[in-house]
Amino acid sequence: MYHYLIRRLLLMFPTLFGITLVVFMVMAAAPGGISAQSLIEGQNLEPEVKKALEDYYNRLYGLDDPAPVQYLRWLNNVSPIGFTVDKDGELEGFSLTKGSDLGMSFRYGRPVLDLLAERVPVTLLLNVLSVPIIYLIAIVIGVRAATERGRSFDVGSGVTLLGLWSVPTMLAGVLLIGFFASDQYWHWFPTAGLSRREALVMPFLPHWSAWGDLLLLFAAVAVAVSLCVGISLKGGARLRMLLMAVLGLFLGGMMAAALPGEQGYLVTLVLAAALAGIFALVAYTDYAALRTGVMGIIGLFLGIAVAAHFAQGEFVRGFLLDRLWHLALPVLCLSYGSFAFLAKLTRSAVLENLQADYARTARAKGVPERLVLWRHVFRNSLLPLITVAAGLLPGLLGGSIIVEALFSIDGMGKLAVEAVQSRDRELVLSLTLISGLLTLVGYLISDICYAIADPRVSYE
Amino acid sequence: MSEGGAVNTVPVTPKARAQRGYLSQAVREAFVDWGTRLGALWIGVLIFIAVFAPFLANSHPLLLSEAGQVRSPLLEYLSAADVTLLVAFFSALALLWVPGTVRSKLLAWLAILALGGLLSWLLISPPKLSIYEQYRERQASGQYDWVITAPIPYSAKDYLRDYGAAGLEAPLASEERRHWLGTDENGADVLSRMIHATRIALGIGLVATGIAMLIGTIIGGLMGYFSGVVDMIGMRLVEIFEAIPVLFLLLTFVAFFGRNLYIMMVIIGITSWTGYARYVRAEFLKLRQQEFVQAAVACGLPLHSILFRHMLPNGMAPVLVAVSFSVASAILAEATLSFLGLGLVDDPSWGQMLNQAVQAATFNWWMAAFPGGAIFLTVFAYNLIGESMRDAIDPYLKKSSR
Repeated sequence: MYHYLIRRLLLMFPTLFGITLVVFMVMAAAPGGISAQSLIEGQNLEPEVKKALEDYYNRLYGLDDPAPVQYLRWLNNVSPIGFTVDKDGELEGFSLTKGSDLGMSFRYGRPVLDLLAERVPVTLLLNVLSVPIIYLIAIVIGVRAATERGRSFDVGSGVTLLGLWSVPTMLAGVLLIGFFASDQYWHWFPTAGLSRREALVMPFLPHWSAWGDLLLLFAAVAVAVSLCVGISLKGGARLRMLLMAVLGLFLGGMMAAALPGEQGYLVTLVLAAALAGIFALVAYTDYAALRTGVMGIIGLFLGIAVAAHFAQGEFVRGFLLDRLWHLALPVLCLSYGSFAFLAKLTRSAVLENLQADYARTARAKGVPERLVLWRHVFRNSLLPLITVAAGLLPGLLGGSIIVEALFSIDGMGKLAVEAVQSRDRELVLSLTLISGLLTLVGYLISDICYAIADPRVSYE
Repeated sequence: MSEGGAVNTVPVTPKARAQRGYLSQAVREAFVDWGTRLGALWIGVLIFIAVFAPFLANSHPLLLSEAGQVRSPLLEYLSAADVTLLVAFFSALALLWVPGTVRSKLLAWLAILALGGLLSWLLISPPKLSIYEQYRERQASGQYDWVITAPIPYSAKDYLRDYGAAGLEAPLASEERRHWLGTDENGADVLSRMIHATRIALGIGLVATGIAMLIGTIIGGLMGYFSGVVDMIGMRLVEIFEAIPVLFLLLTFVAFFGRNLYIMMVIIGITSWTGYARYVRAEFLKLRQQEFVQAAVACGLPLHSILFRHMLPNGMAPVLVAVSFSVASAILAEATLSFLGLGLVDDPSWGQMLNQAVQAATFNWWMAAFPGGAIFLTVFAYNLIGESMRDAIDPYLKKSSR
């Protein structure tokens, strides 16, 4: 295993080298390329000032050298082992301990490393939050769709998932921001950023000024959740649907009332009907786990809303809650497409294994269907999911470019857009390096997980 | 692969079925699905809209009579691209009715297309400047006897300057000027812009996919045929391209190479060939052991003949099935680039319209929902087709459904 790991780690270097070479070649081959002229292009300057600035940039970054020289110099700077250079640009000697230097960003005039240290964690946070959500929903829906093959749940979820997968992230983001974050409609979520300024000085956890409010919150949430879960588990299909439809009607009416300005009765009617329809659909499905889960979440929010309405004292949101509040819409935007894709994959993997000979053998031995599914079939169906996980990471990194641009989150994606737009050589190359590294690490992790999930695979 | 095998052993199956081939069988099976039919219908509608865009939404009247003289400003302002598209459409329709093999029809169509395109580019030069307001002003002052306008009497770049700084308008907000889907912040009609953007979406999807397929097939074919060292180097290349997030690579390319429709097609093509290379490589690795390939090698046929005449038709099915998904993602890629402000500057595209919706000071749902909905429907249609094509060639699903 260690032998394999070391070989894989060593194989990363040529790939990383290739990645940066490809991106550098793109930059160098472009008309205008990376030159001092292209850096100050568009600024209205006197000719002398322009000349001086060009000379300055050329001296600072060596932009007047031929492209291969520029690339080699960058490579030498980045690699921890290499040649050292004295002040005049002459080679001084070879060093094993010179350390790597990602250079200065042209645009920001700051070390690239500092910028990356600021921005990369933000993007990683977004992705780390999305991945579990993606897998949870994908597995819950995909496994059920496979066991219900050809019935209404399978067909309905199939079309819905393919539709979700086709919704462009931009559209979902624009509409979510427009309807749920702008003050023209429901101002429930913040429109931009990762936290409010005042949240930065708040304590980490939320706290209440009056203990009664906290008690009220717990009581309301407990009552609402247990009511919803109880209805979901004990009530018949008709009762469930009726109760949930009434709740939907009520909430839809409340939503319409919360809209700013005068609303016609038509808006109220449509909203109430839509919510009632969705809630009734949730109550209708005979997939108990999904139904109970969704209804429990509805109950949770209901309880929180009731408690917030009757709370007496002051409530300080705290840093954590504020951050989560800001992250809700971006994470939603980032995850819906991937879980739709993954749920379809789960379905086909489970379907394939349900018909396998070993599953039939297990059934013939008298193993209950539930155990056949979860202990035998599901474990084998995990393999394609793990393989795809490697490809998921670059997809999410790409997706965060859009999400960060939409929600003005200062992460790696937004930095990438700014870097390519301002032709910032050092920043573009470093971002390529980082995203390539993250992707390759993703591949490696998925290979290791593969070996854990499938004992037949060994990397000796 | 039992189906494919059955097709190859000719004596067992009736001749007509053997000639149909694996792929056309898959297509036939896919079209049993109602989802595929709906998807194909939507794409057909889009093709119609794209071809007849200037006749559907145009500020230039279709026909007008001025002081007894009848003229058609719309035809006068038809550009070379419009005419080429019309020629392509009608020649395709005509060729569908003419008997002949698919191959000869395709060649004939390409020839007509090339000739028509060249001629229209040489001969047609519409006036550079178009003043859209003049028609409305003259009509208001009663200079025309009668006017027949296009169904949507606004061009994509008609900013309705003559109506003052009214600008933004919700769908069907005013009585005298009917904007079915409202106007954007500049005052241009949203529906008209969407109609004209159809061309970009469809064109980019098809051409970019074609380029990706070409590159992927050549590299993958060489990798699979030679294997060994070539395969190893090729796979490293594939890995390199896969390890950079596609969107990031696209951004770099577009930011450095400028914003031209054709450049964007090429760029989206060269950033998305890796999947095809993998498919073709896998197929060719299987095929190169088979007798007919060995026979072709033994006959001393040239390399391009072995690769593209003998091997490719037998290894093409999985590639063609992936085409539909690939077109969908190319359309998404263009929309994303335009959305990030790196797309086309002047011409309307669905993604650019979404970007306008975000840039606007207030949230105007019609500016986001309609172009975004068009992207969604188109991508959904291609994905539906791709899905059932994939199901049709999947032997596992086939076995269990019967």
